[in-house]
Amino acid sequence: MNSSNAVSRWGFYVTGIALAILFLSPLLWSGWASLRTPSGFGLENYDRLFTSDNGIRLEHIVNSVTVSALTVGGTLLVSTLGGYAFGRFQFPGRDALFLLTLAILMVPYATILIALYVLLGWIGLQDSLVGLSLVLIMFQLPFSIFMMRNSFEAVPRELEESAQVDGCTTFTALLRIMLPAVKPGLVTVGLFAFLTSWSEFFAPLILLNSTDKFTTTLAVVNMRTASHGSIDYAALEAGVVFMAVPCLLLFAFMQRSYVRGFTSGALKG
Amino acid sequence: MSPKASRSRSRARALTGAAYAAPTAVMVAVFFLAPLLLVGWMSLHKWPLLGAPTMNAPDNYTRIADNDLVGSAVWFTLRYTVVMTVLLFVVAFGLALLVQHRRPGVGFLRTSFLLPMAVGFASASLLFLGLLSDEIGPVSDLLRKLGIIEGYVSWTSGSSTSALSSTVALVLWRFAGFNMLIILTGLQAIPLEVYEAARIDGATRWQTFRRVTIPLMRPTIALVLTMMVTGSLLAFDQFWILTRGGPDNSTTSLVMLIYREAFIRLDLGSASAISVALLAVLIVFNVVQLGVLRRRG
Amino acid sequence: MRVRKLRGLALGAAALLLASMTACGADDPAAPGASGTDGVDDGAQLTLWTRAATESVSKAYAEAYNATHKNKVTVTSYPNEEYPAKLASAAGAKALPDLFGSDVVFAPQYASQGLWADITDKFAASGLKDKVSPGHVRAGTWEGKNYAVPHTVDMSVLLYNKDLYAKAGLDPEKGPKSLKEFAEHARAINKLGGDVHGTYFGGNCGGCVEFTFWPSVWGAGGNVLDTDGKNAKIDSKEMADVFAVYRALYEEGVAAPASKDEAGPTWLGALQSGKIGIAPGPSVWLGLIEEKGVKMGVAPISGPDGGDSTFIGGDSIGIGATSTKAAQAWDFLKWTMSEEAQVEVIAKNKGVPVRTDLASNKYSSADPRIVTINSLVAKGVTPYAKNFNASFNDPQSPWLQTVRGALFGDAAKALAEGNTAITKSLQQG
Repeated sequence: MNSSNAVSRWGFYVTGIALAILFLSPLLWSGWASLRTPSGFGLENYDRLFTSDNGIRLEHIVNSVTVSALTVGGTLLVSTLGGYAFGRFQFPGRDALFLLTLAILMVPYATILIALYVLLGWIGLQDSLVGLSLVLIMFQLPFSIFMMRNSFEAVPRELEESAQVDGCTTFTALLRIMLPAVKPGLVTVGLFAFLTSWSEFFAPLILLNSTDKFTTTLAVVNMRTASHGSIDYAALEAGVVFMAVPCLLLFAFMQRSYVRGFTSGALKG
Repeated sequence: MSPKASRSRSRARALTGAAYAAPTAVMVAVFFLAPLLLVGWMSLHKWPLLGAPTMNAPDNYTRIADNDLVGSAVWFTLRYTVVMTVLLFVVAFGLALLVQHRRPGVGFLRTSFLLPMAVGFASASLLFLGLLSDEIGPVSDLLRKLGIIEGYVSWTSGSSTSALSSTVALVLWRFAGFNMLIILTGLQAIPLEVYEAARIDGATRWQTFRRVTIPLMRPTIALVLTMMVTGSLLAFDQFWILTRGGPDNSTTSLVMLIYREAFIRLDLGSASAISVALLAVLIVFNVVQLGVLRRRG
Repeated sequence: MRVRKLRGLALGAAALLLASMTACGADDPAAPGASGTDGVDDGAQLTLWTRAATESVSKAYAEAYNATHKNKVTVTSYPNEEYPAKLASAAGAKALPDLFGSDVVFAPQYASQGLWADITDKFAASGLKDKVSPGHVRAGTWEGKNYAVPHTVDMSVLLYNKDLYAKAGLDPEKGPKSLKEFAEHARAINKLGGDVHGTYFGGNCGGCVEFTFWPSVWGAGGNVLDTDGKNAKIDSKEMADVFAVYRALYEEGVAAPASKDEAGPTWLGALQSGKIGIAPGPSVWLGLIEEKGVKMGVAPISGPDGGDSTFIGGDSIGIGATSTKAAQAWDFLKWTMSEEAQVEVIAKNKGVPVRTDLASNKYSSADPRIVTINSLVAKGVTPYAKNFNASFNDPQSPWLQTVRGALFGDAAKALAEGNTAITKSLQQG
């Protein structure tokens, strides 16, 4: 190895580690702050988080899990079928529908929510976890459809054709041949849907009315305010940590296939 | 196969394709198109929260110009979009270049940069609220010890620069990794032979980057830039939680203004009109950008 | 087959959208429920929404009511800042709760938008109308009709730290008699040094400043708004004098430096720290501060040369315009204003009764500070304006711009320009 290489290697590690510290420190700090108490370290802040009047209750967690499960399931279903259609079929209106789906990203969230609330009322899904999940699925579609279309496009033609020679319908071909091939894409889409639905704040605030339907995020943000309040920062950080831990774990476990999903999906613009 | 049979086969296939796309179509129609039409329709009316709307077009649109906050919000949103897009792009690209080659430790670095993504944006904003606060945040203490600042400093509302910087730091922290990942996939799609050829031609690293990497990355760059610009023009959460648009309206973005028209002034018609205008700008911007990049590519 | 079915569904949705648009036009904003003016207690389930700040009081009312009635009231609270958004979208979707409260100064806006059901006859028949906080009644009135009744009362007073008073050689039993004396006391305490400061205020919070500074303007005989809430009157000598006092305190470092950036969320925390000598604040904080072991005294807010006044704030509550249980909801509202509720729920917990005739009661006489607070109800003001929130409280309001200028920038220019901007905002559609 020549000296310029050694210098660049040093440069790489010094920069890399400095940046890693910068990116990790807020997370580490919030964990630390959530455990710090006036008298040292302990779980007091978490105790307040779970027992105070406005704190997180078991039903909030159940609601959050329900909404996340419905959103992840629904997003996977719609975007798999849609991605298959956009990536593998020619039909009239295909490009228009695809662009329209991407256009969801361009609409200011705050305004469309009132209209959505009205709409959910018409179809009897106001103040319902299912209605909330449907809205969250819609907001996931631009990214998911884009990912899945590209994932399906990346599957070699021969693979699908061989299935047709075997007499499979397109649906059995999808189930048996295509799905395993786009698995990394599915993981990425599912993980994304989970991350957003688990921590979404504004949509549940507007769309849910009864306390027993509240999600965890709503409960945590509700804790922030008291009468011209004082912020209970420590309990707040405990809430942040509580919300983040499932996401961080899932993220860490799935990172490999997630990154692979990206490589096969996001690659083509 | 006869042409007729092939045509009917392709028609059947088109039908099948449309069937697979149907759930998407229904979702988009019911939960996106319908509310969007409603917003457009509302923008033409004086729309009370309860009771009968009355047509007043084009008052809601002409009144936008009369709204004192619009000018400063447009100006701020544009500035924010430029600053945010440039910084986020440079940081994300830099991170991607840093971790593009496999070597020991790269996995750890990638994970570190990606991890903030796992924190929801509302949670991340709350995290920064604590981090930057004087009550429990370590930032002020640290800087005081280093002698960079003196006494009490409010990062989120002390001055327009510090409020903007806090927001920029939050967004960089939360989204740099995600954009790095997209850029990384673009980088890795460039065949090694291309670099090899450049090396044989005696190109320097910088020349290779400018003449080989950048042109081949054009579609990825287009995707990333479009997302950054659109995201910045629609920025809301970070200002709502961290700076509340202050101090002195210096961080009041356009979507905050829409929120104010709808929920503080309870003027849904006016809020809809600003939304429609913003939407129109975004569509024009994206069409132009895609057109330019397509032609060059 | 499947395609057609789904397309049908999409068409159906579109048709539904159109149908509802015409329906919107035909809909009457909720006719008041039963024809009688008496409440009905028949075991109905009632929903009540409130902002987080008022939750504890609403819950106390509900618990006591539920214990003695067949109707059952369930309280849901929402974050303070997002509460208006929640109400607006629920109204837009015609899904308002049976009962909902609001900050009293926002009540005219909700009343004018028809978000509450008309309770004029019920209120008149109850015989309570003249016995409750008149500012609240006025706030819930639009075009001669009543839409809301008082729910809680919260007033601005001077809160001072008795220990710091003693340390600074001041008499802990004697609060200041004028705004100038308040400034002197603050300066004296500030001399204690260390991390102790003379005073504290919410310099980046329109709502905090109006709540705590306006009483001094009123005390000096000045005004802030005309009676219809259509014209601002802030470009006055009285207003300028009051701002000048606080401005000097900030510039001298007597007001804690964080006062400049205080947007509200950490205001209470600053007083609870025990490091602030004297500051104007909400009367309901008395208990919250003493919980932290800080001994507090209470004095009225006054004008620069004396003249006590107070901002009578708190919450109003009315029946959701889309509720189908108006008679049952009224039963609850009527009960909350009863002597039983006001004394055993509110006064017992050291709150200020919404009933002016119950200002002195068996609980109030136990604490002289409560007597001071309750006696202010008669001298106080609840400002009235339809566009109050957008003009004064919202972070983007012209009032907050004015406050920032008057305290930290070009004061004269801020008041003159602010007066024009606020008037424009007050008169907006």
